[in-house]
Amino acid sequence: MASTPASRISLMERKAYGRDFGLSLRMGMTMFVLGLVYVAFFIALVQFTGVGIFGIVLIIGILSFVQFFTSDKIALLASGAKVVEREQAPELHDMVERLAAMADLPKPRVAVIPTDVPNAFATGRSQKKSVVAVTEGLWNRLEPQEVEGVIAHELTHIANRDVMVMTIASFFAMVAAMLARFGLYGGMFGGGRDRSGGTPVWLIMFVVSIVTYVISYVLMMMLSRYREYAADRGAALITGTPEYLMSALQKIASRISQIPQRDLREVAGMNAFFIVPTNVKRGFAELFMTHPPLEKRLARLAAISREMGRPVEP
Amino acid sequence: MGLGNVLFGRKKLKKAAGDKIFALSSARVTLEVELGLKAAGKAAVLFKPMSAQEYVRAENEMQELLDVVAQEAASRVTRRGDEFGYEWLIVEDNDFEDLINTVHLVASELASHGFGEQLLAAVFRFDGGEHPLYLIYGFKRGAFWPFIPKGDKERDNANELELKAKLEKELPIEQDLSRWFALFDLPI
Repeated sequence: MASTPASRISLMERKAYGRDFGLSLRMGMTMFVLGLVYVAFFIALVQFTGVGIFGIVLIIGILSFVQFFTSDKIALLASGAKVVEREQAPELHDMVERLAAMADLPKPRVAVIPTDVPNAFATGRSQKKSVVAVTEGLWNRLEPQEVEGVIAHELTHIANRDVMVMTIASFFAMVAAMLARFGLYGGMFGGGRDRSGGTPVWLIMFVVSIVTYVISYVLMMMLSRYREYAADRGAALITGTPEYLMSALQKIASRISQIPQRDLREVAGMNAFFIVPTNVKRGFAELFMTHPPLEKRLARLAAISREMGRPVEP
Repeated sequence: MGLGNVLFGRKKLKKAAGDKIFALSSARVTLEVELGLKAAGKAAVLFKPMSAQEYVRAENEMQELLDVVAQEAASRVTRRGDEFGYEWLIVEDNDFEDLINTVHLVASELASHGFGEQLLAAVFRFDGGEHPLYLIYGFKRGAFWPFIPKGDKERDNANELELKAKLEKELPIEQDLSRWFALFDLPI
């Protein structure tokens, strides 16, 4: 192809694929509605219970702060991942270093999870404190460029500060969950007093908390799924090769469904973190999933791939 | 990344900052006189080609690019892929100024061909120490850092840090050590 003006123009256009306006809009709407739910919940709290309630809010604030600051340690412990130094896994370190440089991130710590189920996660409260963990299965069973796609996906989670965003998004949901529990106890032990002979306060708070919790949970999961799409998109940008992430996701998903449930329980608590969760459900249950279904992710990646140049078979 | 990009999960790739690469020519005296390190006349530009899917087009553009460089510079430029799927454009020139100029030319040609965001690093080799010294220039950061590989995928951190202290006045050195990525088995 000669360098005609037309091909120059197409080269300029190529730079524009970094954005997905629809995704940003949906993410913005979700966060907006979540914010509304929380404001309404907050007003209800003040309205019905008075200042005493802020003790609970403070406690949960502290809890969620601690959780945020120890997110890397908790995830490493829960998954059994071991941080590895360069000498133990030089190729993995090389790969992570180059991709982190491409993403303009400081090099995260690198951890390996001793299980044959291929998977990976990233966590940590800040870009400096982050960890990328891959399972032995991921490294052994996937092609290097597929592993790159997966690591780039995890690096995008770090770049987008997903741990922070999701911690903030879940704060009032935690408060609501706690209050629902307290409300129930309060009711059981007769702690609630009538106000002007109407419905007891504990019952109102119980119902309000439950409703807040359910709505915000669904919204949080929605946000989480959108952020997975965003991470897939970022991975496509960093590696320049969405098709390898597509084949990696397919391999990971098929591995996961092949393996008997017994093995999966070992890592089941980690689903929100992993690149592909181990418990896949469809239909209505999709509302409560942290990750979008595989076929939707593949369709989006194929679309990015087309944006980048060549159509890929779905 | 700005708050908006964090909120909406819009990770974007940073564009290449190539101009600080010229600072290397003033650091050369320090390297040669004070440290006894001589430029080996070899350098390379490292980038990640877009995608297998764009390969044909990239292939043509790369040839075009090499032709442009060959016309404008006297240096020898060759291509090499590596096992990570990255491309190396290797520049050889015994004149150090020309070497830097050609590396910069290659980088800016890549950028003007739409590969700007895929540019990762430029590497310059220096000999004279126990192990060869590579000065790596990170296009994302616009800064240099030393890389001294020794033996089996190990690097000589002590000497690298010493070089950092000595070169800091003349070269923009990457201050965040966690970004000093290594380039083992490099082709120069």
